[in-house]
Amino acid sequence: MRIHRYRTPAVVPTASMADIAFLLIIFFMLTAVYSSTRGLEFAFPKDDPNQTNVQPQEAIHIKITGDAQYTVDRTPMTIQQLAGYVDQKMKQAPDKPVIIHALPDVPYYSMIDVFDVLRQLKVQNVSVPTQTEIERWRFFGYLE
Amino acid sequence: MKIHRERSVTAVVPTASMADIAFLLIIFFMLTTSFSPVKTSVDLPESVERAEVEQNAAIVAITTQNQIVFSDGDNPGFNVNSADELGPHIQSLVRAVPNKQFVIKADRAVRYQSVDAVLDQLRRNGAKNIGLLTEQKRAPAGS
Repeated sequence: MRIHRYRTPAVVPTASMADIAFLLIIFFMLTAVYSSTRGLEFAFPKDDPNQTNVQPQEAIHIKITGDAQYTVDRTPMTIQQLAGYVDQKMKQAPDKPVIIHALPDVPYYSMIDVFDVLRQLKVQNVSVPTQTEIERWRFFGYLE
Repeated sequence: MKIHRERSVTAVVPTASMADIAFLLIIFFMLTTSFSPVKTSVDLPESVERAEVEQNAAIVAITTQNQIVFSDGDNPGFNVNSADELGPHIQSLVRAVPNKQFVIKADRAVRYQSVDAVLDQLRRNGAKNIGLLTEQKRAPAGS
């Protein structure tokens, strides 16, 4: 007598695979933080005695006095005028240092706006003095 | 004559490719997820020029309430009461890695003196490489 064997076909159970996968998707979607990883870079000058320091008298002095209010070399300007002025000065002397002096009460974005304009104009020598340095410069009579 | 009726086809949803699609999405989210050590939510200022900051840079977040959160880039961030408290942390990081990047993640509306206090501490404690996090600005300024 011939014996009939019933063979079940070999299958991989893939039905639950999608469930597991979607669970993982939800986890990654919830934990994903689209944080900005880009920004403006700058370096503090090295404390090297051989390096020439920024001479405040020769520099373009940008003073941020309020929300989108700028005084460049004692002349009030808009951000567009500031860009034109600095660009013109850079053509004459590309190494000319630029000092960004933001008053304590101005919003941070005003300073970033100026910094961004200077970066776009490819200004090499940008100095952002801290309040302590400004006090020191004022003491030596470099600033009004 | 006997008529053979075609056997009715059983209704199935083709789920075989579902897992492929799902895994593709998983890979996308895995690659784009960055486990940022500082999860403080701030409204960043905008700029046209932007450069990529270093992967494990130290982060100093400043919120509009003048709350300062500091992270060395590898460990989760912690609150500090004032910028002066950052000094020893910055010093030890700079001593270990002299060219360590410090990223300032400050809210756009924060008063400049808060940022200035942090910059002052960074400078005093020997940090050289600074980054200011920004969002992309659409219309170029100064044009």
